[in-house]
Amino acid sequence: MSDAVTLSLTTPPERTLVADCIAADRFAGLDAAAIAALPVVHAGRAATLGEFFRVRGERASVVRVEGDCRRIEAIGTGMAGGELLIEGSVGRDLGAAMSGGRIDVRGNAGDNTGGALPGAARGMSGGEIIVRGNVGEEAGARMRRGLLVVTGDGGRGMGKGVIAGTVVVFGKAGPGTGRFLKRGSIVALGDVERPATFRYACTYRPPHVALLLRYLGARCRVAVTPAQVTGRYERYSGDLAELGRGELLQWVGE
Amino acid sequence: MKINGVAIEDTFAEAFTMRVARLVITGRTIGWAKEAAVKLTGFATSVIGCKCEAGIERELSDTETPDGRPGVSVLFLTTDKASLPEQLIVRVGQTVLTCPTTACFDGLPDAPDRLPVGKALRVFGDGFQASKLIGGKRYWRIPVMEGEFLIEETFGMLKGVGGGNFLILARDADAALAAAEAAVAAMTGAPGVILPFPGGVVRSGSKVGSKRYSNMIATTNDAFDPTLKAVTQSQLPEVVNSVLEIVLDGIDGPSIEAAMRAGIRAACRRGVESITAGNYGGKLGPHHFYLRKILG
Repeated sequence: MSDAVTLSLTTPPERTLVADCIAADRFAGLDAAAIAALPVVHAGRAATLGEFFRVRGERASVVRVEGDCRRIEAIGTGMAGGELLIEGSVGRDLGAAMSGGRIDVRGNAGDNTGGALPGAARGMSGGEIIVRGNVGEEAGARMRRGLLVVTGDGGRGMGKGVIAGTVVVFGKAGPGTGRFLKRGSIVALGDVERPATFRYACTYRPPHVALLLRYLGARCRVAVTPAQVTGRYERYSGDLAELGRGELLQWVGE
Repeated sequence: MKINGVAIEDTFAEAFTMRVARLVITGRTIGWAKEAAVKLTGFATSVIGCKCEAGIERELSDTETPDGRPGVSVLFLTTDKASLPEQLIVRVGQTVLTCPTTACFDGLPDAPDRLPVGKALRVFGDGFQASKLIGGKRYWRIPVMEGEFLIEETFGMLKGVGGGNFLILARDADAALAAAEAAVAAMTGAPGVILPFPGGVVRSGSKVGSKRYSNMIATTNDAFDPTLKAVTQSQLPEVVNSVLEIVLDGIDGPSIEAAMRAGIRAACRRGVESITAGNYGGKLGPHHFYLRKILG
């Protein structure tokens, strides 16, 4: 047993690599050989994780992934616990349908980050995803619980169809953000293109946002300014085309 | 044993196991946090008549609270498990929920026994309430006219200690009060301890039961009443004309001992004849705080 398992990308994939086997909780009971033997799909063909990554460490629920993983999809799919640290950018479906643990990406993430598996009604149902960069389209789509934090920009349809949970975006949130939101919160610290089916409620200092941003700053070392913690937020209720029990909180300064 | 010429009696304070919760109340200013805490802990001097004992433990700076605002920590004690959540739900709902700008957090996060205080109070939101999970803790956001009231879903409960005490026997009322005030000042802010009585001081110490009224569970402690010295089996020396008591509740025995040590030393001043403590012969309460051992 080691403190962490480290996956170093030694053979960058030429095509899309689906590596949904990379999940912190799954590595907790596996030795290095077993981890290397986990199945992946490269360009539609079966392969093993060890053909692309060098594996160091074993039987740990803290996993570090090193290398340019932009062509690697579905990392952290269904993850239920542990900690997954990714030193670089990743492809789509990061943390799809995850239910626990934390994924921390030091780069960008692709479409459907924290979203649902194809055909599924629910996206992530617990845990935390922190992307220290930008995300693609429909990040956090159909999230049921959990926390998705994006320090950069969010793509089109961010938080689409969220059932519950929280999405925080520090940069610009793309068009259609929060569309079909049932419950849950989208906290926008930058510009956001709000759907017309959200209705302004009030401008106030939401106490839970202060708590959340302090947590992100202290525990997750996300750069948060005091003005964001103590500032005022416009509250928009929506999506009124759906339940209308959700909210979009847009920071408007001190 | 004497401290500053004040005799320390060879006796002990007898205290009881109680259930304790710690609440952290924050506000836009320390003033608003204290307003809520004062109301919350009002009429909570003794379980005999109030069903609970509560008090402000200490003020907290903005670096010590979960939401980065100034606050106060409050200890809340009851005699049994069931009545602690009952008291908290009623009191927090009427005093903290109603107080502008405040939020309410658990001060015993590691306690395994959890009381569903916020979970019960959430229904004030009439279905418009929402919860948030932040750092593994669930909070309830209850919409109110001011904006939102934030409260943690559950609060920790521990076995605490209630009824630590010492009595200041003085030559006159002024000296007794001055000594009591000095003791309270020395104990204020002691971690894990509250002084639930007004200003931390009790003038009406009680004995168990009554000599005359069968329905009374506590009546005046006539053995320490100076006006009854001539007609009862008084325990007061001839020179003593006034007695005040300090009652302490706390998280655990060591916290109470430390506070008693500081308080008794501060109370040993001119005009005070002796310091003693209240007990029931050691048969009722499992916690015995021997004065000379504490001060030794």
